[in-house]
Amino acid sequence: MFAYVIRRVLATIPVMALVALFVFSLLYLAPGDPAAVIAGDQATPQDVERIRASLGLDRPYLVRFGSWVWGILNGDMGVSIFTNLPVTTMIAQRIEPTLSLMILTLILAVTIAVPMGVVAAWKQGTLIDRAVMGFAVLGFSVPVFVVGYLLAYVFALELDWLPVQGYTALSKGFLPWLENLVLPAVALGGVYIALIARITRATMLEVLQQDYIRTARAKGAGQGSILFLHALKNAAVPIVTVIGIGIALLIGGAVVTESVFAIPGLGRLTVDAILRRDYPVIQGVVLLFSFVYVLVNLIIDLAYTLFDPRIRY
Amino acid sequence: MNRRTFLKAGAAAGGMGLLGGLPAPTLAQGTAARTLRFVPQANLANFDPIWGTQYVVRNAAALVWDTLYGVDENLVPQRQMVESEEVSADGLTWTFRLRQGMKFHDGEPVLAKDAVASLVRWSARDPMGLMLRAIQQELVAVDDRTFRWVLKKPYPKMLLALGKNNSPCSFIMPERIAKTDPFTQITEYVGSGPMRFVRNEWVPGAKAVFERFADYRPREEAASWLAGGKRILVDRVEWIVMPDPATASAALQNGEVDWWENPISDLVPTLRRNRNIRVDIADPLGNIGTFRMNHLTTPFNSVKARRAVLMAMSQEDYMRALVGDDDKLWKSLPGYFTPGTPLYTEEGGEILKGERRLDAAKRLLAESGYKGEPVPCIVAQDQPITKAQGDVTADLLKRIGFNVDFVATDWGTVGQRRAMKNPVGQGGWSMFHSWHAGADCINPAAYTAIRANGAGAWFGWPDIPAVETEVSAWFEAKTLEEEKAAIRRLNKAALEEVVYAPTGFFLTYQAWRANVSGIQKGPLPFFWGVGKS
Repeated sequence: MFAYVIRRVLATIPVMALVALFVFSLLYLAPGDPAAVIAGDQATPQDVERIRASLGLDRPYLVRFGSWVWGILNGDMGVSIFTNLPVTTMIAQRIEPTLSLMILTLILAVTIAVPMGVVAAWKQGTLIDRAVMGFAVLGFSVPVFVVGYLLAYVFALELDWLPVQGYTALSKGFLPWLENLVLPAVALGGVYIALIARITRATMLEVLQQDYIRTARAKGAGQGSILFLHALKNAAVPIVTVIGIGIALLIGGAVVTESVFAIPGLGRLTVDAILRRDYPVIQGVVLLFSFVYVLVNLIIDLAYTLFDPRIRY
Repeated sequence: MNRRTFLKAGAAAGGMGLLGGLPAPTLAQGTAARTLRFVPQANLANFDPIWGTQYVVRNAAALVWDTLYGVDENLVPQRQMVESEEVSADGLTWTFRLRQGMKFHDGEPVLAKDAVASLVRWSARDPMGLMLRAIQQELVAVDDRTFRWVLKKPYPKMLLALGKNNSPCSFIMPERIAKTDPFTQITEYVGSGPMRFVRNEWVPGAKAVFERFADYRPREEAASWLAGGKRILVDRVEWIVMPDPATASAALQNGEVDWWENPISDLVPTLRRNRNIRVDIADPLGNIGTFRMNHLTTPFNSVKARRAVLMAMSQEDYMRALVGDDDKLWKSLPGYFTPGTPLYTEEGGEILKGERRLDAAKRLLAESGYKGEPVPCIVAQDQPITKAQGDVTADLLKRIGFNVDFVATDWGTVGQRRAMKNPVGQGGWSMFHSWHAGADCINPAAYTAIRANGAGAWFGWPDIPAVETEVSAWFEAKTLEEEKAAIRRLNKAALEEVVYAPTGFFLTYQAWRANVSGIQKGPLPFFWGVGKS
């Protein structure tokens, strides 16, 4: 197992290298000019040229790429073209809100979706099953921003229960932290709940047909025990896989959710950086997201052994 | 049940008070009244008002850095950091004396050497500063409070240059900061303005915080725009960046923010219905919409093709696309200068008045020699103002007979592509949309878009000597009448040759909570005199 983990960790290196090359090349080829954005709309072409030169954007591709890679290898992601702050500082400023949002969404989604899927499978073909599947279709179909606006309208503007926007650091208290994150987490969680609920239902339906479930029933095991101990544990591998894949959905959804609820997280940082062509920030954030994604999938792979003892690494 | 009772109930039920610490209402109320929460027009992504000339940077900088002079609401520059000035009889030597007792936020006194270094940096980036540089003999500090600027020829617009509100403003910084190369960002944000920048709370893209500077000594006169006594009535101003207008609207209605700089017109009716919210025009100088043509490439290298556009365009179509049915928000603009300001003129503007002449425009286009080549219109879709104008333009050009190549893109790409002088087909372009703040268009001083000096002009590079002659005449004018005469001739020449096509004049709103007082209309949000109960 240890050797497997080491192998997987080492395997992330070429993956990250490819991501780095791809992201850098894509940004190099993409149209847009940060110097023009910095100079402002009234600037002359000469001003734009001078700013471009001062930022080193007039250097050849290979020189820029080499310089960036060398920095990364030395733990330096570079400095934002616009804010003049190190990219690591900007990421550090933004990581807590995004991490909080994703963790809360994950907890919320798993807590709601797995029982929903289990119950839908148990009550297959009934009204409950149809309601769960209807909810899942809605969750997939309604965009995050629509859900976000609706929630903000009802729970913030009409009922005045929760704030519309912003983020309060966890260090300032759990309740204020939660207060700001409830609506975004629910909005972001919709699609994730739908995904997990559907896969849980499908896998549970398959497992519930197995012989050992019939045996368990024959032995007089209770319904709860059959569903959650015997069946769910054996259905867990695909569910955990989907939860891992869904992290990518969360990352994408966080970009929209953070904009709708004005949460100062990594998603908004990414959008702002893309619109301004702040290359070091875009490269840094995309690398970070890629690393997180690779890491999450590694953890998921390792988690398989907890649910299925037959799996060995 | 409101939020507070809901939370209290929740806390009581679950013992959550221990975890969360509900804010004590009395204390929170006091703090809230001393903090003004403001939603700016854009993200404060950098904070060097000379290096980056975006309006949002200028607006924030006006809190932190002071200027030698400041324009008032009558557009007249008034003394601000300066106590007195003296100009020699030949108009070549200006001697300025600073007010006594001014301090920077680090406690150091403001000295003449700081002003000199700041003016040197500013003059490398500002159009008026560049003109001053070109005729400068020397700029030196005479003593701690006096500096002298000696010129090779008179510059009657000196005070306007030092007090204008157009970006970049000549903000005064400590010498050590002002010595930074003008094309490199400063790393310290120390000024002598009425508020200090709280750098450790700055999260670019999300939040910027300013605190009242206790040692600031406002002038005795009443505040008027950038002039007079800048008295700050709150302890703290928080800029909260909200990219989504619907969120900003909801936050204002919910009392989570106090003042929103630029609500979009679609949301204004909702805000007006809320009795806790006030809505009014933000800036009476408004904005001028721009249809900018490339004078170097086909078809707009022909004045006939450019005039064909003017002849057929309906400014009403453009303005309604921008502001909807609110007639208070727009007016036609048969000229280039800001309506309601002293130099406004309609000289030569007949081509933009009356019934639109599509058939005549078609004939003129045919006479221009246009043979149906593609006309790349680069239209930023992420800016509502450019997107709305672009949609109208696509239709207009097609109706005149242009072969429109509509390039829907983002503002960052427009910024890059418009700088390219290549022919169409090799990355070149034919037109793009933008808009200019009316405050920049009251005269030619900061109005880069009206200049027609070929390669040195703004994107599109018009080369029209008659326009440049009148720009020079305005700079040299000594009386308002001389200025007006020069601008009338300039407006006529610019319309005859079509420096660019103005799409109309439009205003925008600002909105604030009813418990906020003292908000002024102006080209930037002025925080002095704004209080909160």
